[in-house]
Amino acid sequence: MLLRASGLTQARAYDLAAVIGGVEGGGAPHGRLLVEFAEAVLGEDDARLARARADLGAAVGSAGLVDAAAVAGLFNAIDRVADATGIPLEEQKAQASADFRAALSLDRFAVAARE
Amino acid sequence: MREFYAAAPIPIRDDLAAAHGRAWARIGKPGTWWTGEARVAIADETRRAPSCALCRARKEALSPAAVAGAHDRIGELSAAVVEVVHRVATDPGRLAERWFRDILAAGLMAEEYVEAIGVVAHTVAIDTFARGLGLDPLPLPQSRPGSPSRRRPVGAKAGPAWVPWLEPGEAGAGELYGTSRPPNIMKAMSLVPDEVASFFDLVAHQYQPAAAMRDFSREYRAISHAQIELLAARVSALNRCLY
Repeated sequence: MLLRASGLTQARAYDLAAVIGGVEGGGAPHGRLLVEFAEAVLGEDDARLARARADLGAAVGSAGLVDAAAVAGLFNAIDRVADATGIPLEEQKAQASADFRAALSLDRFAVAARE
Repeated sequence: MREFYAAAPIPIRDDLAAAHGRAWARIGKPGTWWTGEARVAIADETRRAPSCALCRARKEALSPAAVAGAHDRIGELSAAVVEVVHRVATDPGRLAERWFRDILAAGLMAEEYVEAIGVVAHTVAIDTFARGLGLDPLPLPQSRPGSPSRRRPVGAKAGPAWVPWLEPGEAGAGELYGTSRPPNIMKAMSLVPDEVASFFDLVAHQYQPAAAMRDFSREYRAISHAQIELLAARVSALNRCLY
């Protein structure tokens, strides 16, 4: 949701399908490299991660790479807190995100988990 | 604690290194429901879970419940705690409330469960950061002697989450939330307030402070809000996390 909000304030429309790997980067600066980095960090292919790290570092610099690794680490953890405690999505957030959750079929995650 | 990353091949922000130092040292200290020794053991199991044969088989199965067996484990943690740590570490997107209820039925208190989740989350946040940068995982923290405080927030009650939580306005909530209206992710571990305080210290330094999250008028990090949110959203999608 904050990705879309970020785009609105900058008069840019990011393609949210990038979130599910549907498009390359979604229009965010170096988006393709960020998506590849996220996938490599959560994957098990160390060679792929080394390439992704080098490519992203060349694009955003060492400070940017550190921030990218920090964000990936934090969300890899916060997802676990959310899933393990069974918190619901707030009504306001649910309404605000209903359109792209439907478009990207994101609700399938919740359905599968609560069965 | 800055020495954690003194040998890193690229500079790590001082505030981030310090936050990791605080979080890592805290894992080794007695918590609210677990001893320091048990907390370090939970961190250790978090790291070992990805190589557990049962966890790997479950992850590949259509339903994790379809695969029976015992976890590869070390130490003295109970089977129920190891089940929690391994499942949360390796397959969080398919946790179900029935599974959670079974864990409680096996003898784990909700308070113990929440604190264990907190230790797993801290460990995953810091270890994933290290993996992202190609750094060796930090050595496990030294456990400190002492007893857990066993302080349950008086105002914690059952709500819409699986675990009881502390709503704003309840006794003890002001210390945790201040005057802000907390999102559900902040209330998630409020049954053990120290886990919330520590985890949101990580949030502020690994992601952004609360005030910066929606301040799109300037950038607070070396990557932009849009880049941060794209990365965060892709990670959550890979974890199959709707929240």
